[in-house]
Amino acid sequence: MSSSESPGARIFDGIRIADFAWVGVGPNATMQMAFHGAEVIRVESSHRPDTFRSGGPRPAGDGSLDASAYFAKFNRGKRSVAINLAHPRGGEVAKRLIATADIVTESFAPGFMERIGLSYEEVRKIKPDVIMCSMSMEGQTGPHAKFRGFGLTLQATAGVTGVTGWPDRPPVGTGVAYTDWVATHVGIIGILSALDHRRRTGEGQYIDLSQFEASTLVLDAGVIDAANTGRVAGPLGNRDFRYAPHGVYPCADDHTGGDRWVAIAVTNDDQWRCLALIMDRQDWLESDDLCDAAGRLAAQDALDEGITSWTSQQTVDEVEQMLQAVGVPAHRASNVRDAHEDPQLAHRNHWWTSDHPVIGEMSYESPPWRLSDTPPPMPRRSPLLGEDSEYVYRELCGYSQEEFQQLIVDGVVE
Amino acid sequence: MSQETNGALSRYQVIDLTAEIGGLSSMVLAGLGADVIRVEPPGGHPTRKRGPMLREDNDSSLYWAQINAGKRSITLDLDDDTDRERLGALCESADILFESDAPGAMASRGLGYGDLRERAPQLIYVSITPFGQTGPKSTWAASDLIGHVSGGLSSLVGDPDRAPLRPSVEQAYNITALNAGSAAMIALHARHLTGQGQHVDVSMQAAMANTLGNARLYWEKDGIITERAGGARAFANRATRIIYPCADGYVAFVRVPASMIRLYKWMTAEGADPQFDAERWASIAIAGDNLPSDDEIAELESEIEQFFAARGAQALYESGQHFNVMICPVNTMQDIVDSPQLNARSFFEDVDDPMLGPLKVPGAPLKMSATPWQTRPAPMPGQHNEEILIGLEGT
Repeated sequence: MSSSESPGARIFDGIRIADFAWVGVGPNATMQMAFHGAEVIRVESSHRPDTFRSGGPRPAGDGSLDASAYFAKFNRGKRSVAINLAHPRGGEVAKRLIATADIVTESFAPGFMERIGLSYEEVRKIKPDVIMCSMSMEGQTGPHAKFRGFGLTLQATAGVTGVTGWPDRPPVGTGVAYTDWVATHVGIIGILSALDHRRRTGEGQYIDLSQFEASTLVLDAGVIDAANTGRVAGPLGNRDFRYAPHGVYPCADDHTGGDRWVAIAVTNDDQWRCLALIMDRQDWLESDDLCDAAGRLAAQDALDEGITSWTSQQTVDEVEQMLQAVGVPAHRASNVRDAHEDPQLAHRNHWWTSDHPVIGEMSYESPPWRLSDTPPPMPRRSPLLGEDSEYVYRELCGYSQEEFQQLIVDGVVE
Repeated sequence: MSQETNGALSRYQVIDLTAEIGGLSSMVLAGLGADVIRVEPPGGHPTRKRGPMLREDNDSSLYWAQINAGKRSITLDLDDDTDRERLGALCESADILFESDAPGAMASRGLGYGDLRERAPQLIYVSITPFGQTGPKSTWAASDLIGHVSGGLSSLVGDPDRAPLRPSVEQAYNITALNAGSAAMIALHARHLTGQGQHVDVSMQAAMANTLGNARLYWEKDGIITERAGGARAFANRATRIIYPCADGYVAFVRVPASMIRLYKWMTAEGADPQFDAERWASIAIAGDNLPSDDEIAELESEIEQFFAARGAQALYESGQHFNVMICPVNTMQDIVDSPQLNARSFFEDVDDPMLGPLKVPGAPLKMSATPWQTRPAPMPGQHNEEILIGLEGT
């Protein structure tokens, strides 16, 4: 990718990533670097396509591997080369690419890269200062290293599912590939730390990222508590062990239809008094029992009942406005449409539009951070599968036009 | 004066001024070797009173021990001119600062980015707030729960007949903090290019809005509002079950095509005599057109349910994975502590915490071959006042 004048486009100028990772965690991590000028080359194959290339949404009736907006979401700003790694010559092509790369990422089940001759030991023979990051489910070593999974199931292993649900019902988990958005940041921080180390010392290294281990970071004090006291945090519904009232309450239907809910979180005594005032609950204001969190935690059932009967008479807009006006944390339980249309996210220009020859124009997420001096330019659209094959084989791997044609005929470039 | 380590970030100094939302950002950087200085008010940071506690007192916070591992502590009164000046002096040599005050609050004390930029042009100043520094909701009151609902995630979590849910520990704060860590690292590399620090504005709402999978895309593309589906994958207008009860808890299993023939073989090997047509289910995607009827799916699920119900979660994990079936246990926090995988990888480490004594703590969330993660305990309030202040005077 050509360097542009803006410094935000050039932070990772000259850094090439041979990206063998697929699905969520790895591609999301390398995309953040692609936004700032790293040349990220997705190594793909139509014989074993990225799961998200088969995902949706997609234009009606288009089952092709280039039609998935889900894939596009994770791969903007990147290139794609088709290398059939199952072909006997696939490994040789991959090695030539790696020889030109600064960073190699992969998220296959442990053992796969070794089988195709691309273990870290082999890779560093080709490129001694390479940074290689493996991002498997449970790490490269240990009795469960080869166990399979994906974000929807890994969150169960990692403890997220078990604390998500109602105390009187089975746990539910998050319904999305939640850990993907946790482990990916541990990956980014690790890779960029290693890159900084290499910049200073010239030394590359191998990073063994276990999505399981990385994901436990979001469990707050849950794991350290169990490890030292044997206490096991369970699902609390929407309640909190410190604050009350604390919940998500039903509102009257508004013009948007569907069920509407508002979250209210009283995190200190001032907010409690303001809530009671707005609800016109003189009895709550006058109650000595309810003036501190301990008393309110003990009375949660009654408080939730009272709030529910109040919110049920208001629209979600009204509750938000009345409570925020007096500083009580309150916000609608946004659905995906609300998130898409949210005025605050719009203010931040959070959803970035990207045009794509197959998918058409769609908006996708941007980073949740804004850099004052080095914002990234709008990224290039996500690549078609193998779109940059000729560039990679010819210019990076150094194959002649004849050799490239032969590799196509031999079934390597697919 | 900094703590020399062989971590990847050992040459960098980080100032942590966060309240509740961003402590994890600098904890990860500390694990990678950065010298992180936790600034606390005299008497200690308020989150030292936050549970869970190790003992029956109010002064043994395991939350503090987890989120502040590997940091040094200095106590400064930011309402006092001398201490504010000390913080300003610290900023002159620091690389990254994390703060989570309401927009404008730091500026009102003369410690906003605009105040420090001239004095500390190298400083990467990361502000972590619920909604961001500007915009119509930037002044809204918030909490972890508000992060989950404002980004939209809660609408995909929970049973359909009850309220949208959040996970029961404060994960929106922690996901936001990890995003802030990524942002700080990108800004650090930007500094190699520009020679300058900058202001980084991180929004919890935006961080949580990025966890919606492809559900928002389905709204934009097809006008479908995906709703929470209980213990199932919330997906467009078609949910797929994930959670199944077993003999001693729950397991997570999704009937993806790749697992179905393996599931059949596994059940057969365990003497279960499965009745479902494995070849057919192996050809049926979990979403898209031509899906089986609800009755057919219910029949399959009931058969799987019976098989799981007779066996324990960890046993199902071991035996199912042996057949390459993507099944996972719904682990409790205790299961995580007891995990043979984590223990084989020496995930847990013993530290001597100056407040709590010997502690067993989660260690490296990633293993780096040349610059290993360092697990160190959290500090006492003001434990490093003297050495940090002497370091300041020496410069």
